[in-house]
Amino acid sequence: MAEDEAIFDPTMKKKKKKKKTPFEFEATQEGGDAAAPEPVQNLEDGDVGKPAVEEKKEEETSVKADLDTDDLDLDNFSKMKKKKKKKARFDMDSLAETLPDGDAPNEESTQDANDGSSAPPPSDDVDLDLEGDAELFTKNMKKKKKKKRVTIEDSLENGQVENQKDEDVDAQIKAGIPWAGTERDYTYEELLTRVFDIMKAKNPDMVGDKKRFVMKPPQVVRVGTKKSSFVNFSDICRMLHRQPEHLLAFLLAELGTSGSIDGQNMLIIKGRFQQKQIENVLRRYIKEYVTCHTCRSSETILHKENRLFFLQCESCQSRCSVASIKSGFQAVTSKRAQMRAKAN
Amino acid sequence: MSNIQNLQTFDPFADASKGEDNRGQEGIIHIRVQQRNGRKTLTTVQGISDDYDKKKIVKACKKKFACNGTVVQHQEYGEVIQLQGDQRNNISEFITTTGLAKKEQLQLHGF
Repeated sequence: MAEDEAIFDPTMKKKKKKKKTPFEFEATQEGGDAAAPEPVQNLEDGDVGKPAVEEKKEEETSVKADLDTDDLDLDNFSKMKKKKKKKARFDMDSLAETLPDGDAPNEESTQDANDGSSAPPPSDDVDLDLEGDAELFTKNMKKKKKKKRVTIEDSLENGQVENQKDEDVDAQIKAGIPWAGTERDYTYEELLTRVFDIMKAKNPDMVGDKKRFVMKPPQVVRVGTKKSSFVNFSDICRMLHRQPEHLLAFLLAELGTSGSIDGQNMLIIKGRFQQKQIENVLRRYIKEYVTCHTCRSSETILHKENRLFFLQCESCQSRCSVASIKSGFQAVTSKRAQMRAKAN
Repeated sequence: MSNIQNLQTFDPFADASKGEDNRGQEGIIHIRVQQRNGRKTLTTVQGISDDYDKKKIVKACKKKFACNGTVVQHQEYGEVIQLQGDQRNNISEFITTTGLAKKEQLQLHGF
């Protein structure tokens, strides 16, 4: 299941942590929801330079959190707090850069400044709530931040999870930032990745590859010995917002066979085909006729003009023509004697 | 006389007649796979430039991939190479290594 999911994901550029709810087409909506639990997960998994003892502790505490609803609440609450802090750090970025040797220890400031950049994006709702707080923080950032940190640490003495996570984050960031403790200049690539990370963290909508385009896998069943049935053909057409005729024409042209839609909106294709094979063809279809060629968004409209198909993107408004469906040369695969008999 | 730009003889179709078939829709080589009876398949290669002798290509392919093959004449698509079995990867590698076409010109179809 999970493997299929990984396979049938056409815009899979980054191996992101996947949720177990598979094959959701509305990945954009789900992505927003998924963003909230993700950070914690990441942090828990990404223990790089952490002592084993702490790890154990964390495990224990996380188990506790699972068991106790009270602890869970605390966890949630503290998560919010942590997010606030992150948000504040975003605003501190500029200051930390301009004043490399501030009041705060240098190492910490760099770490903090970069915290926001590599931290996973918080969900939109939380963002909105925290906007005000973040602005407050910008006024006297350093002091407040320090205070904040202390308070959080105090409040979580019993929890300890958050603390460790915090350290974890810092460690992660240190690993991600090559110039962390050194005096050297930044290279272009480093800065570029950093900018993109910040962009991703601040408004995830802007970075294109954040949106995953996840498809249901096609269900292909053998009908008899010589035919295959594409069971959820109409579902997939609906998901892709494409005319069934168009997809049908493409599939048949690519597979080089004939086929038709039967009474239950299933597609019957002549020839033996497996799900994987149909998946491949569908992926090509999506690449050519569904995703925008400019921004790779899937919110597109396909319409016909003067015998040409045009793909209009809803998110970036770009418009481009797509290749027409041609079956090309088809070799004779049936028995020639039969064909002759039919013709006469 | 010749330094007046408008009086120079300039053939606007000069570069249209040559080198056009290398790009655009024309230069693309389509490699397809068709199912035959049972598990058997057939690979067709359509769109190899007329500069090359298909028969010789087929001869080399047959020997290299250990399969049979023919050249089929088609009124619309010209000479098309047919090879037995699923030779998509083989033929695309062959075409790119021998320099018949670039990788961007190849288009794989089928499952």
